[in-house]
Amino acid sequence: MLATDSRPPRRHLSRRGFLQAFAVLSGGLALSAACGQQPGAPAKPAESKPAEAAKPAAPAATTAPAAAAAPASKPAESKPAEAAKPAASGEAPKKGGTLRVGLTTEAVTMDPHLSGSKIDRMIYHNVYEPLVVLDTRLQIKPGLADSWTQPDPKTIVFKLRQGVKFHDGTEFDAESVKFNFDRMQNPETKSVRTGEIANVQNAEVVDKYTVKLNLKKPDAALLATLTDRAGMIISPEAVKKFGADLQRNPVGTGPFQFVEWIKDDHLTVKRFDGYVGAKDGGPYLDQVRYRPIPDDTVKLQSLIGGEIDFMDYVQPRDVAGVKGNSNLVEIDVASLAAFGYQLNTTRPPFDNKALRLAVAHGIDNEAITKGVWLGVGTAANGPISPASWAYDSSIPPIKRDVAKAKQFLAEAGKPDGFTFTLSTGQTPIASQEAEAIKAMLAEVGITVEIQLVDGARGQADGNARNFDMTSYAWSGRPDPDGNTFQFFKTQPGSGLNWAGYSNPKVDEILDKTREVSDQAERKKLYSELVKILQADSPWIFVVHPVEPKAFSPKVQNYDPVPDGMMRFKDVWLK
Amino acid sequence: MGTLILRRLAAMIPVLVLVTFGVFSFIHLTPGDPIDAMMGESFDAAAKERIRVELGLDQPIHVQYLTWIGRVVRGDFGRSIRDNEPVIENVSRRIGVSLQLAAYAMAISLAVAFPVGILSATHRNSPIDGFGTMFALFGICMPNFLIALLLIYVFGVKLAWLPISGYSPPDDGLVAWVRSLTLPAITLGLALAAVVTRTLRSSLLETLSEDYVRTARAKGLAEYLVIRRHALKNGLIPVVTILGLQLGTLIGGAVITEFIFALPGVGRLVVSAIFSRDYPMVQGVILLIAIGFVLSNLLVDIVYGWLDPRIRYG
Repeated sequence: MLATDSRPPRRHLSRRGFLQAFAVLSGGLALSAACGQQPGAPAKPAESKPAEAAKPAAPAATTAPAAAAAPASKPAESKPAEAAKPAASGEAPKKGGTLRVGLTTEAVTMDPHLSGSKIDRMIYHNVYEPLVVLDTRLQIKPGLADSWTQPDPKTIVFKLRQGVKFHDGTEFDAESVKFNFDRMQNPETKSVRTGEIANVQNAEVVDKYTVKLNLKKPDAALLATLTDRAGMIISPEAVKKFGADLQRNPVGTGPFQFVEWIKDDHLTVKRFDGYVGAKDGGPYLDQVRYRPIPDDTVKLQSLIGGEIDFMDYVQPRDVAGVKGNSNLVEIDVASLAAFGYQLNTTRPPFDNKALRLAVAHGIDNEAITKGVWLGVGTAANGPISPASWAYDSSIPPIKRDVAKAKQFLAEAGKPDGFTFTLSTGQTPIASQEAEAIKAMLAEVGITVEIQLVDGARGQADGNARNFDMTSYAWSGRPDPDGNTFQFFKTQPGSGLNWAGYSNPKVDEILDKTREVSDQAERKKLYSELVKILQADSPWIFVVHPVEPKAFSPKVQNYDPVPDGMMRFKDVWLK
Repeated sequence: MGTLILRRLAAMIPVLVLVTFGVFSFIHLTPGDPIDAMMGESFDAAAKERIRVELGLDQPIHVQYLTWIGRVVRGDFGRSIRDNEPVIENVSRRIGVSLQLAAYAMAISLAVAFPVGILSATHRNSPIDGFGTMFALFGICMPNFLIALLLIYVFGVKLAWLPISGYSPPDDGLVAWVRSLTLPAITLGLALAAVVTRTLRSSLLETLSEDYVRTARAKGLAEYLVIRRHALKNGLIPVVTILGLQLGTLIGGAVITEFIFALPGVGRLVVSAIFSRDYPMVQGVILLIAIGFVLSNLLVDIVYGWLDPRIRYG
């Protein structure tokens, strides 16, 4: 946006330069809100609440109309930019160099079994390796496991890759896999992963390079879960050596090994020369240096100014400018995320389905996607993103229909409307969205009181079901199960089903999607689920945001996987 | 002077007890808890409960407070709930950055405020004074983040003279270190300079109308000596007061500046700890900041005594 002109640096600020500066500053004003109200946004570690990376700061009101027109909304397919593909140019990859990456927030912990933060995963995917990995089309491919078979629905047998070493020199084998599963399941570990592997009975060593997972019940989503933290294997020796300090001393088998971590300043990893998983001479980079730069404008300026080579997330307001900058490469990485609101179905007013439907039909999520998200995303028809194989494009999002919404109000015996509280995060984009909803529902006759809460407060209120309608930003999981089961399955406690939603038919579908392994069959079940969710509206589904990333043109061969993670195994610098 | 210092040190204790009690109550009474913040995406309620018990968060608040105070008195500030790092280790790594930034900002503000303030006072109602007033108004009115972004745009992006963000420790080269702190220090220093300029000007104007200044002039002393020996020294008291208060604020509270420039300082630590409800971290850091604040005020009192021998307290 700023460096689009390639004039050499000048000593005086011209009138035009001054005006440009002013344009930046008007963007900065939006940021002022972010700074003033919530300087600590990046502190929120959990990726489930209006997460910082997810709910970005919004454009300044003055620049919004211009910017709104610019970014095309082409969300579903990930379209890696030409420059990112060296194959096209035919250049041979070369070794060396340090890739400097700007992150939205500081990482929380380097122990995958304890991590609840999306930023952590960005780093893990270069230091650790999961048993299976995702390719750019979200297909499951061999990782630490060369192959796997499922002799019966309750058993998965992994044949492990041989000759793999951990960064501390110890050997990776079936024992290390078993050790990691045991560690996750051990209550002493206090692992956050227990829910994800709840269906795993135990891991059993068959021989040195064969490991068997015995399941309590069939779980079609498990393999996809093992492409992330639950499937990452930590060096057992390192766990014994570091104990709780493993959180600051990660040791895995990944392409890069940990060097140092100065909190709020940088985390550095270097090439692991014993890495055997890369083809043709990779990994190429000498080092990757991650820097948390909490202010989005400054992070972008750092990229433009050449202080970093790669940034993890571009705010919707900046996307058009970055796209237009010939010195930068921008890619719209499709994401699995689902952003929306949970409605508390356990207490008035939203224990009344007609009132939930009145709200659902009063909100225009197409307009919100265009106006608030500036087209950097797709209006949502349900919890499953267009990047997923389970997405059913034949189901349209709920259309805004004021007459119908009023009809639902009348049906609920509240023809004159009602009042409820909408709790949401403190980022500009979150409050803009809330304001838009407030205005839309006012036309229906529903009064919205907006309550801005910080992440921890939102979590607490959600768990206690102490809310009417609360924003929920889910970063998404590769298997649709991760976007549905825990939110819509009847649960004794609140879990992530803050809405308190319970529908026997939905429970049945959710259970069935885990038992059936045929993807086409599962897709049908998920379509059925989405239709029921629209009819019941325990959630207001708003948007599946795209995750725009930007980098310098010298960064080559970056393959965007729609889970939003940054994998640098094959990346090299020109 | 010795008695003064001892007495002031003793007076710190009740202040610190009050501060810790206040912080402890506020952070614990704020809705939300560290386990939820940490395990946001987990739906394993039993695991959450287990951790809560293990950390003692199921105990009544006063029990938790006493346990914490008991450990602090023995020098144990505890470990972060988020990542198990000892609080004291994290803070001691950051306090250096914050102190360097505060000192640099203070130096910049003094370097600007003294000439401008003195010239404004001696050339009262002249264009120089007008310029000084305008500068001060600008500095006071411009919010930190705006100055910061403007500086980044001009000196970081357009002119590429100085780094845009980040901190480079002195071990990696002194020049790089000074360069990395320059823009943040100007950001903080400018606002401070404005306040100091105004204070210095009005205080100098007052002393310049004193009898002893007239006497000094009457005996034929050069004007710069009148200013330096007689007016300035006496006019400094309110300036020192302001600097003392600001130093405390700079150490603990350069939050926005640290955020924008991505500096690993104390302010950023506090805020991120508050947002994740990392109780031991919040409590520990605020206690340490409070100690810093009280000490800098003590320093101010000592400087008073040096500036004006009539003030002795003892």
